[in-house]
Amino acid sequence: MTKKYEQFSAAHKKYLKGLKIKTFSIHLTRVLLLLTLLAIWELCAAVNLVDPFISSSPSRIVKQIGTLFESGALVYHSWVTLYETLLAFLISTIVGTIIAIILYSLPFFRKVLEPYLIVLNSLPKIALGPLIIVWMGTGTKSIVAMGFLICIVITTISMLNGYLSIPKEKILLLKTMGASRLQILSHLIIPASIGEFISVLKINVGMSWVGTVMGEYLTSKAGLGYLIVYGGQVFKLDLVMASIVVLCILAGLMYAVVAILENIVNKKHSG
Amino acid sequence: MENLLELKNIELIYHSPKSETHAIKNLNFTVKSGEFISIVGPSGSGKTTLLSMIAGILKPTQGQITISGIKVSSVTDQVGYMFQRDNLFEWINIWNNVTLGLKFKNRNTNENREYAKNLLEKYGLKDFISHYPSELSGGMRQRVALIRTLTTRPQLLLLDEPFSALDYQTRLAVQDDVYSIIKNENKTAILVTHDIGEAIALSNRIIILSSRPGSVKKIINLKFDPCLTPFERRKDHKFNNYFNEIWDLLDT
Repeated sequence: MTKKYEQFSAAHKKYLKGLKIKTFSIHLTRVLLLLTLLAIWELCAAVNLVDPFISSSPSRIVKQIGTLFESGALVYHSWVTLYETLLAFLISTIVGTIIAIILYSLPFFRKVLEPYLIVLNSLPKIALGPLIIVWMGTGTKSIVAMGFLICIVITTISMLNGYLSIPKEKILLLKTMGASRLQILSHLIIPASIGEFISVLKINVGMSWVGTVMGEYLTSKAGLGYLIVYGGQVFKLDLVMASIVVLCILAGLMYAVVAILENIVNKKHSG
Repeated sequence: MENLLELKNIELIYHSPKSETHAIKNLNFTVKSGEFISIVGPSGSGKTTLLSMIAGILKPTQGQITISGIKVSSVTDQVGYMFQRDNLFEWINIWNNVTLGLKFKNRNTNENREYAKNLLEKYGLKDFISHYPSELSGGMRQRVALIRTLTTRPQLLLLDEPFSALDYQTRLAVQDDVYSIIKNENKTAILVTHDIGEAIALSNRIIILSSRPGSVKKIINLKFDPCLTPFERRKDHKFNNYFNEIWDLLDT
C-alpha cells in the first residue's frame, strides 16, 4: 500500500529529500551554465577580446530586441514566420497522416511506392527551392510549401511505420469479431498509433521551423528568416543574433505545447 | 449430443517462394456440443493453423470444416477466439474492451449490452468497468479477454494458449476461472496448448497431433469425476497416468 508522507520512515524521508535536492541541482546547474556562458560572452565583448561588431553580445542583443519591439517589427516579423510555420506544420501533419493511412490500407501501392518514398526522403528538399519559386511565386505560398515538403515525407514514413508495427494478433482479434477494414482502422490502427502521432508532431515542430526559415532565406519580404538574411548582408550581427534568440523562444514554446498535448494523451492512455 | 464441429480430410499446404510446406494432412475429428477439447502436439504440427481454419480466417487447401452442419467459408458469429496475450486495448476502459465485439456486425443491441454487463457482474469485474487495462493484474486481464470473447455469444471458443503468458501461480488460478466460466455458460471449447498438465486438467478429450504434416495421432478420453475443478484434477491419481501416456505419445 502507498503511505502518506507523515507515515514514511525516517529513511524514506531522507531518500525523498535527496531526490528533491538532486532535481533542484540539475535545474540550478542548467540556469548557471547559461548565465556563465552569457557572462563570459558579455565580458569578452566588453574588454574587446572579441569584436562585438562581429560576435555581438548579450546586452546588444537585448537592446536590439528592445528596439525591434518598440518599432513593432518584432511582433510583425515573428508573426509572419510563426504563421508560415504553423501552416506548414498543420498541413503536412494532416496530409502526411492521410497519405500514410491510404498507403497502409493499400499494400500493393505501398510496395509500388516504397522506393519513391525512400528517394524522396533522402532528397535534400532545399534542392527543390528554385522550382517552388518558379511554380508558386515569391511569397508566403512558396515558404509554406518549403516547410510542407520538409515535413511531409518524414510524417508519412513515420506514421506508416507506426501503423505497420501494430501487433498482427490484435488485427486478427478484430477480424474474428467480424470487423470490416474500415472498422479495424478506426477502432485499432488509428487509436493505437496515437503515441507515434505525438512523436511525429515533435519531429515536425523542429522540421517545420527549418523549412520555413529555409523558405524565407530563398524568398521573402518579411519574417525572422528574412531578418537573419538581411542582417547578415548588411553586417548587422546584432539583428541576426536577436532574430535567432526569438526563433529559439518561439520554437521552444511550440514544442512545449506539443509536450503538454503529449501529457494529456498519456494520462488518458494509461487511465 | 450432436456434433457441433466436424473436420473432414483437412489438408493445408503453405506456399512460400522457396518452399512448399505440408502443414496438415488427412486430419479428421469431431467435437460435440459442450465438450472441452485440448489439442497438443509437437511444435510445427499446425495447432494454431488449425484454429485459424476453424475460425474461418484461413482456408484449408483440401477438406471441409462444418459448424452446426454449415460449411465454414469465412469468419462466423459462431466462433470466439482467445489468444495467448489478452490483447486488451490500453486506450479504452474495461467496459469498452468487453463490448468491442458488439460494435461490429450490428450487434450493439440493448440485449447484448445487458448480457455483457451481467457477465462482468457474475464474474467479479463489475467494479472495474471504468478502469483501464493497465490497472488490472494479468489474471484479471485474461478474464476480461474471455468475457470480451463471450459477449458476441459464440457457441465455440477457440483458445490459443491463453494461459502461457501468465506466471505459474496465476495460470493455475485463471485456469480454474476460465474453466468454470466456460462450463457455466455452456460453451464448447477447443484449447491449443504445449502444456500437457493444462490439457489434462481442463479437457474431456485430448487430441494428440503428429509432427508435420499434422494429423490426429491419438485421441484420449479423460475419465475424471465431473465435479472436479482443474486444480483438483491435478491432485487425482489418474492425472499422472494420463501425463505419462501423453508424454510417451509426444516423444515418439
